[in-house]
Amino acid sequence: MKTRNSLIASLLILLVCGAAFANPPAEKEKSLSVRTFQFKYKDADKAAAIIKPLMSAEGSMSMQGATNALVVTDHAENMKAIANALAQFDSAAQTFRLSVRLVAAGRGEPAGKVPEDLRDVAPNLAMLRFTTFEKLGDAEFEGKEGDAGMLEMPTGYRADFHFGEYDPASDSIRVSDLRVSRLTGAQRDQLTQLLKTTLNLKLGQTVILGAAKAPQSQRSLMIVVVAHR
Amino acid sequence: MITCHAFRANLRPGSSEPELLEHLRHCDACLDHAVGVDPDFLFRSIGGEELVPPGGVDAFTHDVMQQLHVRTTETRLAHRVLSWPRRLAVAATIAAAMTGAAVVWQHDENAKAPMQPMASATTTKRATPAAVVASLTTKPVVETYDSKNATIVEVPSEGANDVKVVMIFDEQLPADL
Repeated sequence: MKTRNSLIASLLILLVCGAAFANPPAEKEKSLSVRTFQFKYKDADKAAAIIKPLMSAEGSMSMQGATNALVVTDHAENMKAIANALAQFDSAAQTFRLSVRLVAAGRGEPAGKVPEDLRDVAPNLAMLRFTTFEKLGDAEFEGKEGDAGMLEMPTGYRADFHFGEYDPASDSIRVSDLRVSRLTGAQRDQLTQLLKTTLNLKLGQTVILGAAKAPQSQRSLMIVVVAHR
Repeated sequence: MITCHAFRANLRPGSSEPELLEHLRHCDACLDHAVGVDPDFLFRSIGGEELVPPGGVDAFTHDVMQQLHVRTTETRLAHRVLSWPRRLAVAATIAAAMTGAAVVWQHDENAKAPMQPMASATTTKRATPAAVVASLTTKPVVETYDSKNATIVEVPSEGANDVKVVMIFDEQLPADL
């Protein structure tokens, strides 16, 4: 009788241990799930770039070009963030505003008076040892994702760009092919391109893009840009 | 009864003369002497002829020793070889110990690693989905720049929404920007 009881107890312990190893709760939580997202307004390949930073190391995705869909495999907790990002991404083209200020910043001269409308960025420019600030113009453009924009300043500066896709994962808008040019020549009839770049602008964040020949240059062109909804 | 002197004079190993055995039953000193000469005198003194085991004392002693060896071997083997219920009990104990260790280890891992996701999860409940995903990723301000020789320096800012300064140093830019 005593042997039988001990046998039953041993078997029960083994069963419990086996169950504990076979189906631990932590493993259950970490299981991967698969979900297909089909896009109505945006391209699946652009969506892939949007969710890439949100995916875990175990996650994967595959594109279905024919149906403009994306098959995503990842942990359930990641899938929620991915679904949210894609839901916001696949919306009709949204409208954004881009405000641009051009400032000529100089060094080597005594500090001059900071124009009123540059006071918000003057401390940041002063950290780069710029002492004088000359406003070259400002302009604002409103357009939808995919629209081309152009801003002209009375001083002869000009900015051409395209509004790219809004990225909900980083809450930023892509401003692609931003070309800053200047009218030159005696008649100011020649457009000279100064720089060409593509920016990711977080909505509401002021970005100062400085351009100079070298770090010790006495003069820099500061492009102050802010993107808004 | 013969005297002790006569007994010791006539005593020979294996002797079974009645007067010698009679003397042995009554004289302890001569019994000790006789056992020293032949141990069989001990048996002969207590029972006489009829107490000798069948086959002789040597065969009897051999059988006893053999039984003794068998018992000793059985006892030794019984200690080493476990019965299957005992084996099962040992396996169950080891399994329980391993499970316990694994559970403790996993608990420790969970306590260490998921601290960051826990914080994110808390944020998820409070903020809107857009704000949550915004906090998850950041992108470089300058994604591309149309000159391979340029140096792009992104000045780190304290807060996520602070003014961001990015400097482009490019020898191809005109001096009078």
